[in-house]
Amino acid sequence: MAAFQILRRDLLRYLRNPGRTALLFAIPLMMAAIFAVVFGGHGDGDGITIRVLLWDEDDSLLGRLLQGAGDRPESEGRLEVVPVGPEGVEMMNRGDASALVHLPKGFTRAVIDGTPTAIEVVKNPAQRFLPLVVEEGVVLGATVLSAGSRALRPELDVISSFLDADHRPEDAAVASLSASFNRRAKQFDLYLFPPVVRLEAVDVGAAKGEEASAKKPQGIAAVLSVFLPGFAILGVLFLAQSATRDMLHDRETGVVRQLLTAPVTPASYLVGKCLSVLVVSAAGLGLLVAAGVAAGVAWGPPLAVAAVVVAAAVAASGTLLLVMSVVGSERQGDALATIVIMSWCMLGGAFVPLAQMPAFLHPIARTTLVYWATSAFSSLIAGGGIADILPNLAVLAGGGALGIAIGAAVMGRRLARGAL
Amino acid sequence: MITVERLRRSFGDLVAVDDVSFEVRDGEILGLLGPNGAGKTTTLCMISGVLKPDSGRVLVDGRDIWLEPTVVKRHLGVVPQEVAVYEDLTARDNLSFWGSLYGLSGSELKERVDEGLSRVGLADRAGDRVKSFSGGMKRRLNLCMGLLHRPRFLLLDEPTVGIDPQARLNILEVIRGVAAGGTTVLYTTHYMEEAQELCDRIAIIDHGRILTVGTLDELTRLAGEAEVLRLTGGFAGGEARDRLQAIAGVRVLQAGDGSAMLSVAAGGPGLLAVLPAVLASGLALDDVSIQRPNLQSVFISLTGRELRD
Ligand SMILES: Nc1ncnc2c1ncn2[C@@H]1O[C@H](COP(=O)(O)OP(=O)(O)OP(=O)(O)O)[C@@H](O)[C@H]1O
Ligand SMILES: [Mg+2]
Repeated sequence: MAAFQILRRDLLRYLRNPGRTALLFAIPLMMAAIFAVVFGGHGDGDGITIRVLLWDEDDSLLGRLLQGAGDRPESEGRLEVVPVGPEGVEMMNRGDASALVHLPKGFTRAVIDGTPTAIEVVKNPAQRFLPLVVEEGVVLGATVLSAGSRALRPELDVISSFLDADHRPEDAAVASLSASFNRRAKQFDLYLFPPVVRLEAVDVGAAKGEEASAKKPQGIAAVLSVFLPGFAILGVLFLAQSATRDMLHDRETGVVRQLLTAPVTPASYLVGKCLSVLVVSAAGLGLLVAAGVAAGVAWGPPLAVAAVVVAAAVAASGTLLLVMSVVGSERQGDALATIVIMSWCMLGGAFVPLAQMPAFLHPIARTTLVYWATSAFSSLIAGGGIADILPNLAVLAGGGALGIAIGAAVMGRRLARGAL
Repeated sequence: MITVERLRRSFGDLVAVDDVSFEVRDGEILGLLGPNGAGKTTTLCMISGVLKPDSGRVLVDGRDIWLEPTVVKRHLGVVPQEVAVYEDLTARDNLSFWGSLYGLSGSELKERVDEGLSRVGLADRAGDRVKSFSGGMKRRLNLCMGLLHRPRFLLLDEPTVGIDPQARLNILEVIRGVAAGGTTVLYTTHYMEEAQELCDRIAIIDHGRILTVGTLDELTRLAGEAEVLRLTGGFAGGEARDRLQAIAGVRVLQAGDGSAMLSVAAGGPGLLAVLPAVLASGLALDDVSIQRPNLQSVFISLTGRELRD
């Protein structure tokens, strides 16, 4: 059957390009490894505590998000956000915290108006890694704010009103916010540069010898257990992106056209490509999980983990197939896929555990397959069994299958019309 | 035999192929000759079953390719205008994959691949990735892919565009050999010389319509000229054209600023009578040359334009 020949050829291409293949698999591993190293050397068995001083002269949105993250019961022992005034500088000089985040007066106004402003991060030079984590987190926030201030101005106002209200926002309001966010997300790459919000990093004082909060070292495995699920999902999404993008490449280079001159039906071409996207995604995710095992991550019951791997591969394939089916060119496909992947990973808790995200984002997170995949891994790691993740498996497989079906149908229609 | 019946296809408002009918007889090489944008590729894509016609049908040995695609496609070999090979696979990988789509496998597949590679002169590059190939090598590989399953019908879309004379000779030689072996060939080109040299019959297509089909002799006779006069001088404007047209036995094929082309009917007064008439008409005449009728003059007489853009 032609579908299997196509699958075979695609796999052969991964073998013939070992460099590219290695890179594809290595990126998520490297990201997870960097996180592991960043967090791994420090903290105690219960997790890592980052103490951040927040000097928010503006009572800003970012400040409230940070504050909110620290206040969550789930952040207990991981992140401590201490609101301070100007005395924070003095506290930093004493080495009281990993970093001081300073949001100047007029910050929110500037973000909303799109005028340049800066977040100041004062890092504790005695600590090697934790301040970097804070800085990275703030860079991420600044980037999102930069983009958001240009692209998401109306939505920002809505978010702001959610924060001001003391009751939980209406579901409908959240849903419409998420819909309009998705719409806007498409424009993101246009807005990311140049940044509106700059980051100014300052080291204070001289090195104070040992790290102030030096605690007994912790194994990398425990840290990986927190971050690898998310990065593995990010990784599988990127793999699926690369595999589905191939279909657009085929179309643009005339390969599809030529294939259809052979006794290959459009359906068997699509089946073959979907198979190879699935196989590559599942193999990639399996490899990332195996790498975690090698580093000492206890993923949980093997069968349940395998089920999540397969379901997440289906979900990733479906998502990317759908994305690629609506775009006109490989370049568009890449841009849209990257935006979808990054925003889903941010919203779905792949980078920051859902527990540390503000409550109003939780319903939005649940609309992403990333959330269902990441939380499935996390609950298995936390000691859950397959019964605990059945809903996750159902959502992932169902959503993914739907994506594959719709994506393949749309592409199939294009092929049948001869829009090659 | 391939029978093309009243094919029509438009893209938006543009009618790319308009009521095209012709047939490719068993064992012949039929040339489909036309300028850029004439509708050659669109026609070929509809014949090979990748582009659905708006109306009309294509029969291959009596079977409609759109009704029985997989049956018919087994017997077709198609070499597209754009080279479509996997650059990150080797030449051998590409051929093996392609052959497997036609049900070839094992030692038979390997033999066919080897045979094909040496036929197009790529045997020593079989294990190299196509990425490292020149344009001409890729085209030869593409031709090889179209021939691998020994199709009974070979459809080629301008297979010699943009390659050096050496590679071009190789490709034409291969096609001649295939045709000599009994394969029916539809050869698309905008090179008159190729159509003249290679093809048993030629169909001329322009603006999506078939203007005429026949052997070279038939076409030149059909165009009706014994001789074509190419005049150099000033012939711009409707008045100049009228004056030329007024000369007995002359048909104006083309008249412009720098030159004009006249066809002089075989049974008429002849060249010797026409030239004095041109001089007497008061038009500025710098030079005259006489051309044997060829596809160029046929094309001009049919369209009023030269084939070359
Ligand atoms: N997919 C398409 N969408 C829109 N217009 C198209 C499409 N394909 C072809 N056309 C138009 O149809 C006409 C015929 O194109 P076609 O490619 O068949 O010409 P051709 O004879 O093969 O030309 P060339 O010698 O340049 O290859 C052209 O005007 C072209 O612009
Ligand atoms: Mg063409």
